[in-house]
Amino acid sequence: MSLLEVNNVNRVLTDNNGAQVNVLQNINFDVQQSEFVSLIGPSGCGKTTLLRLISGLDRPEGGTVKVKDELVTKPDASRGYVFQHGSLFPWETIRDNIAAGLRVTQGRHFDKQLVDRYIALMGLQGFESAFPHQVSGGMAQRAALARSIIMHPELLLLDEPMGALDAFTRADIQNVIYRVWQQTKTTMILVTHDIDEAVYLSQRIIVMTPRPGQIKQIVTNPLPYPRQRTSDDFLKFRQTIQDLLDFGSHDQLVTDSKEKAK
Amino acid sequence: MQASGKQERKLLQQHERERKYWKKWSVGWNVFSVVTLVVAYLENALLATRETVDNTYYHWFLIAYIAYLVIVYVVGQVTHGGVRSYSGHFAQLNSSIGILLIVQDLITEKFAIMELPFFVSFAQILQQIHEDAKLLWESTLSSLGLWAISFVVGTLIGVVLGLLMGRYRQFNYWAFPYLKVIGIIPAAAWMPLTMVIFPTSYLAEIFLIAFSVWFPVAFMTIGGVQGISKDYFESAKTLGFSEAQIVRKIVIPGALPSIFIGIFTAMGLSFTMLVISEMIGAKVGLGWYINWAKGVGNYTQVYAAIVIMALLFSIIFAIFSKVQARLLRWRENGN
Repeated sequence: MSLLEVNNVNRVLTDNNGAQVNVLQNINFDVQQSEFVSLIGPSGCGKTTLLRLISGLDRPEGGTVKVKDELVTKPDASRGYVFQHGSLFPWETIRDNIAAGLRVTQGRHFDKQLVDRYIALMGLQGFESAFPHQVSGGMAQRAALARSIIMHPELLLLDEPMGALDAFTRADIQNVIYRVWQQTKTTMILVTHDIDEAVYLSQRIIVMTPRPGQIKQIVTNPLPYPRQRTSDDFLKFRQTIQDLLDFGSHDQLVTDSKEKAK
Repeated sequence: MQASGKQERKLLQQHERERKYWKKWSVGWNVFSVVTLVVAYLENALLATRETVDNTYYHWFLIAYIAYLVIVYVVGQVTHGGVRSYSGHFAQLNSSIGILLIVQDLITEKFAIMELPFFVSFAQILQQIHEDAKLLWESTLSSLGLWAISFVVGTLIGVVLGLLMGRYRQFNYWAFPYLKVIGIIPAAAWMPLTMVIFPTSYLAEIFLIAFSVWFPVAFMTIGGVQGISKDYFESAKTLGFSEAQIVRKIVIPGALPSIFIGIFTAMGLSFTMLVISEMIGAKVGLGWYINWAKGVGNYTQVYAAIVIMALLFSIIFAIFSKVQARLLRWRENGN
């Protein structure tokens, strides 16, 4: 039995003019226990929408999302979610943020040593009592990751967590995610538009097309871990994904930049 | 800005202080501030007085002030910490206070350009405060008590209604239109009614002051809750927060900056209502004291009560500012 089953999922939204827009159409895929899967596609292809359906933050108009054969109806702590901007609670210190989930599920006497372990694992020692605005974007994202992973979720959903970071920090967080995945064997689904990132981290890559958002192809990554970003095999496989994403139309670029401008 | 290492933190602290107390340390201004107050003392002690006044308390006040200025000057001269920034920054302001003290003394008790009973010197106010010390102390305590009870009641009602209206659409639908229409009525308009409706005038006063408080607090709280980014609510849900936990951990802290804006707005209104309602209904309190002084035609007492109010309300304001700074220290720029 697969950990996650997405069956015939549709997401239909009504735009400002009252017209119905198919944001996601007929999405089908499974994710196995401990697997690392990436969802990649141009902006507007509905990959974040899909991730939100898996988390339970939104409900699909058609089809089902099941985790361990149970229908997902609302978000809970067994499906962690890391947002693009981290969304750490600005009024809590880094330590309190990381402990936030434990505190509400275990109460006042939550496992403080576990919090210390995750602070160490993420290299956040010395910043425990800093507030989110006092730390760098990379550190905030590590803390956000710790806050989700400390709950030992069955499934960790990563919504472009490196999207707002500079290149150096991005590579650093990718390695943190890789390490966490190796150590905890948590099943992860990463939404990204960065091909390198998807190729570097994932075992399977789901390539999506926009309007309506559909799965174009699911590609298995043959490269062994740990991966070298500059190896020939890496670059070759990267090109395969690049070709799949190359829709070859100028229109796409135009709509993309419009999307960004919003 | 990343916090790392003790030295860096210390530098940051100093930087923060320099931003707040931005006027440079200056020996000249510090000395000048002391000189103005010494002149104020000498002028008062040496010039002949036209009005009857016991200047003892004024002299003690000036001596204490001079001693304070000398101490912060000396400490500022030999150390490089907070005292130096502080006394350096306020030296000019202190000088201006010295000059004002000289001027008011000359135009009132020395040359009687502005005369009793409507204009009095600061020395006469201090003398009056000393004479009425017991009555003023009791009035102050009674005003403070009334204000505190009413302000807490008004703020609690405002915050609770604000949170409910900000968080729950149904509650907002039913309550917000009423809030808008009722809340906009000036509390003073209810005064004639409250005096007859409530069994005691004390309850009527509490109602009036609390009424002036709840509306701005509720209004700002609603805005505060609605302004919280939905990302925080979604993060909380994916971490397993229940609705009660969301309210406690997200809604309240997220709305707190706005709640404080409401509280500070309400504070000014509440002081106004405190004095007005005491003037009308009460037999105690600073408002009553002023009204009574007016009745007997002793305007020095009116000034005395005003000076005490200035002190009392400033202290309350300062305490709330401290509490705010502490509770909102997570924000980027302090205020």
